[in-house]
Amino acid sequence: MQRAIESVGIPTIIIAALPPVVKQTGTPRAVAPLVPMGANAGAPHNVEQQTAIVKAALEQLEEITTPGTVVPLPFEYQAKV
Amino acid sequence: MNLTVVKGLQSEIFVPVTPPPVWAPVTKPLNEMVIAIATAAGVHRKEDKRFNLAGDFTWREIYDTTPSSDLMVSHGGYDNSDVNKDINCMFPIDRLHELAKAGFIKGVAPVHVGFMGGGGNIEKFTHETGPAIAKRLKDEGVDGVLMTAG
Repeated sequence: MQRAIESVGIPTIIIAALPPVVKQTGTPRAVAPLVPMGANAGAPHNVEQQTAIVKAALEQLEEITTPGTVVPLPFEYQAKV
Repeated sequence: MNLTVVKGLQSEIFVPVTPPPVWAPVTKPLNEMVIAIATAAGVHRKEDKRFNLAGDFTWREIYDTTPSSDLMVSHGGYDNSDVNKDINCMFPIDRLHELAKAGFIKGVAPVHVGFMGGGGNIEKFTHETGPAIAKRLKDEGVDGVLMTAG
């Protein structure tokens, strides 16, 4: 999907919980905070963390210059299961 | 040691191949960009038809005017408990509005996109759903797309 959007000329950034998967499937740009699938943008109701992840993702939209780059983000959330 | 060389030898094991790169350059700074969200997390309006949890290549438009409390998730491929508590976990629409208000980005797109990733009819996704979503985003003139998936 990211590739389809990118191919019509719109730059994209994906927030991924599974960085090897997006790398394998050919992401143009991705960021990878330390989060479980289902909370890619941060812990529920943690406004500070969600803002930090969304901001960092948008910053990497500008920063990344090489297709296939996955940038780790220094934010962590472990879901209690 | 002599090596045995066999031409055209292929692995019996399926090896996924990373497709060639696609790349749309960023042409303006963030504070001049209108951003849309596209998510594979199965987000849609509560009044919309739910996704078929066994696999669904359809997609939903999410109007930016929809309050985040009127959104929900139907997705059979991940633990929904966090996103059921707070839709922003996978669809950080409230955070995006705050960043627009703060001037970090220029604005938020009028329409966002929800679909159910993680499998389903990949042929349909590649040849129908993907191009349809890309066209919708192109038509509304967004400058960049923030995605959550994978």
